Amino acid sequence: MKKIRRIVALALAVALVGVTLTACSPKKEESSTSAAPKASDTLIYAQGAEPRGLDPALVDDGESAKVMINIYDGLLKYNKDSTKVEPSLAKSWEVSADGLTYTFHLQEGVKFHDGTDFDAEAVKFNIDRQLPPQVTADMAYASFVYGSVKDVQVVDKKTVKVNLTAPSTPFLSNLAMVMSAPIVSPKALKDNKNNVNQVPVGTGPYKFVKWAKDENIVLVRNDEYWGTKAIAKNVIFKFIKDNSARVVALNNGEADMIDGIDATVVKQITDAGNKIFQAPGMNINYMAYNTSRKPFNDAKLRTAISQAINVPELVKSLYQGYSETATSILPTFMEGYDKSVTQVSYNAEAAAAAIKASGLTSVHMITYTNPRPYNSANGQALAEAIQGYLSKVGVTVKIDAFDWTTYKQKLKAGDYDIAFYGWIGDNGDPDNFMYLLAHEDPSMNIALYKNAEFNKLIAKGVETPAGPARNAIYTQLEKIAAADAAWLPISHAQTLCAYKPNIHNFYFHMTGITPLAGVSKQ
Amino acid sequence: MVKDVSSNSDENLIQAAEYVEKPESQLKEMWETLKQNKAAVVGLFIIALLALIALAVWGSELLGKQILPYDPNYSDMTKSFIWPNAEHWFGTDQLGRDMLSRILDGTKISLFVGVAAVAISLSIGVMLGAIAGYRGGKTDAFIMRVMDVMLSIPSILLAIAFMAALGKGLDKAVIAIGLVSIPEYARIVRGSILSVKENDYVQAAKVIGNKDSRIIFKHILPNIISLIVVRATLGISTAVLDTAALGFLGLGVQPPYAEWGDMLGRARGFIFTAPYTLIFPGIAITIIVLAFNLLGDGLRDALDPKSRIK
Repeated sequence: MKKIRRIVALALAVALVGVTLTACSPKKEESSTSAAPKASDTLIYAQGAEPRGLDPALVDDGESAKVMINIYDGLLKYNKDSTKVEPSLAKSWEVSADGLTYTFHLQEGVKFHDGTDFDAEAVKFNIDRQLPPQVTADMAYASFVYGSVKDVQVVDKKTVKVNLTAPSTPFLSNLAMVMSAPIVSPKALKDNKNNVNQVPVGTGPYKFVKWAKDENIVLVRNDEYWGTKAIAKNVIFKFIKDNSARVVALNNGEADMIDGIDATVVKQITDAGNKIFQAPGMNINYMAYNTSRKPFNDAKLRTAISQAINVPELVKSLYQGYSETATSILPTFMEGYDKSVTQVSYNAEAAAAAIKASGLTSVHMITYTNPRPYNSANGQALAEAIQGYLSKVGVTVKIDAFDWTTYKQKLKAGDYDIAFYGWIGDNGDPDNFMYLLAHEDPSMNIALYKNAEFNKLIAKGVETPAGPARNAIYTQLEKIAAADAAWLPISHAQTLCAYKPNIHNFYFHMTGITPLAGVSKQ
Repeated sequence: MVKDVSSNSDENLIQAAEYVEKPESQLKEMWETLKQNKAAVVGLFIIALLALIALAVWGSELLGKQILPYDPNYSDMTKSFIWPNAEHWFGTDQLGRDMLSRILDGTKISLFVGVAAVAISLSIGVMLGAIAGYRGGKTDAFIMRVMDVMLSIPSILLAIAFMAALGKGLDKAVIAIGLVSIPEYARIVRGSILSVKENDYVQAAKVIGNKDSRIIFKHILPNIISLIVVRATLGISTAVLDTAALGFLGLGVQPPYAEWGDMLGRARGFIFTAPYTLIFPGIAITIIVLAFNLLGDGLRDALDPKSRIK
């Protein structure tokens, strides 16, 4: 009886396996037919989250920026390979000698997607809506981009003057940003109660078609574009939350380009015949000492600890070649970066001697548990790697790791000797990075660093017009930071994207945007 | 003779009440039956081996000697992600630490947490169950409703909630896991007590004026100890799994100490590039859980009166 039952069970199992196998095979055929070459004039870009909106004044997230850069133009734009600014809707500009008046000469014959003309009035309208009294609390970047603006004057149809309250060199960089700075059709803003989050109208190379919530955003080429027209006719931005699902979508042919991936999936992508795009990142991943209290109110001891850590070795194994070792606070492509200045470098013997002399035996470290854009390995792995180095020079480290939200509260509480953080640049101006060490807000300046000389130079840097003199100020700031060792700069994370081999000219700008006008598919 | 009996009646009664199947003899019988269950013996053997490893690692740590191939917490960033080879049998992890040493070191933590957590839930659970079962009435209703509420929440979720309240760390993980399995023991003990409470020997013990606590601990619990032993053995495997789950979620040990679930959680990101960092801790967890389950099942068979009759 038992035997028979076993045989029946076995037969059933075999049948089951057979059914699943046969069920699988037609499915395979099906998916291969659906992956057959789609119309080559549609680009599909898969990103990790849905944009918050498409009104440049009302959003602050990177996912929105990637879509908006294709719909809008600003007065200025970034150079393809750096954060230098170039003409866009403004053909040229002049800055007055006192640094207070910026005069922009605008492109002529430019039309918004709704057919209305782009002119000086449109520029004034866009800036005015983000200045007091019109500015609203939900305009996240208004004060960052236009905080120094006093008023805007229309000189004539193609000339506009912006007056500042104080000289601000970063202002030009701000105008190239995708937050706040792009010019929106005034008519569309008036028609939509000053909010075009769902119905964006710009002057850019692509026009908005529709937005299916939780699914995709569809754009179509703007055939009346004033500049070089886009190559592909349609662009679809798909939202695929899960990282591995996005990789699968690329490998299956459901997407042409994806972003938000990390080193662990690179092999999976290249094995499928797809390509990886490595972009330098406008960010810094750093370790900060609490300079406001013992033991790290002593710069010598901070230097000693920094010397004990072999940063190049750590970056190489932790980020597997997808982050550059940071020798300075500023990313290397930024104005003001000077390769002659380097932050503290590895010297274990000197470190061990200095630490022994100081009598330091233990430190308290706090860190975060999740990966961050500037630290793909997550804060805990980074802290543990450093714990390993410090154990070699006789310092025991107690690590407390928290989720990101809790971590930020712990940073505010300020009860730590060493903490980990990072910064993602906004506008590509060196002030945007170096100012962190002068910030009044302890949640920005987690080293709680205070140096009057440093702050004075920061103020001077903001006023000095772009050029060698200004760059020298930031080099000087880097020198002070290196001597004081409030931070140990660790790495500049690269942005990793992947695309199909039939996609040409794809690139991801260091400011986190993907202009698709030049991208083609064959 | 008759007089004699009447004069010694108290003493005889006491003897009668004391004469319960002695726990020692019960355990001995258990062992005899258990020996015949091969799976259970294998389980017991593995547990003994793991305990030996844990004790050796722990002992050597106390003496400041190194018996593991490498210092489990020593990180050498130049050696990160080395595949298993003659030098590192299980390879190295992201921070260049020897996986074999970490796995062996982790035995200590898993066993300790398993046993300690069960000790907590066992002592509190048995106490509460005994009180509820013996006293009955409102006390019973109150205790058991609280237990029901605890049971209605998924145990791992409850453990996470406890951890959130208590903070991170191994000691807190032990407490959290110990607390969440209290109701299981309380229920078993209460049920058994209800069924033996009305037995003659309990009544007799009561009649001669024994205190409640003495009746519970001296007369009732020894009779249901076999049930508790089975539950506790299986409980250890659950506790080990729960620890691993907490570690996986990053709520376990203080870094850099090695804990299998924590190792598994970190390795998750490297499933394609370094699968061995995932496989070895996974196998370790499987082995320890399997061993306790085999032993627990064997014990149950050995103690189940029905199977004994067969």
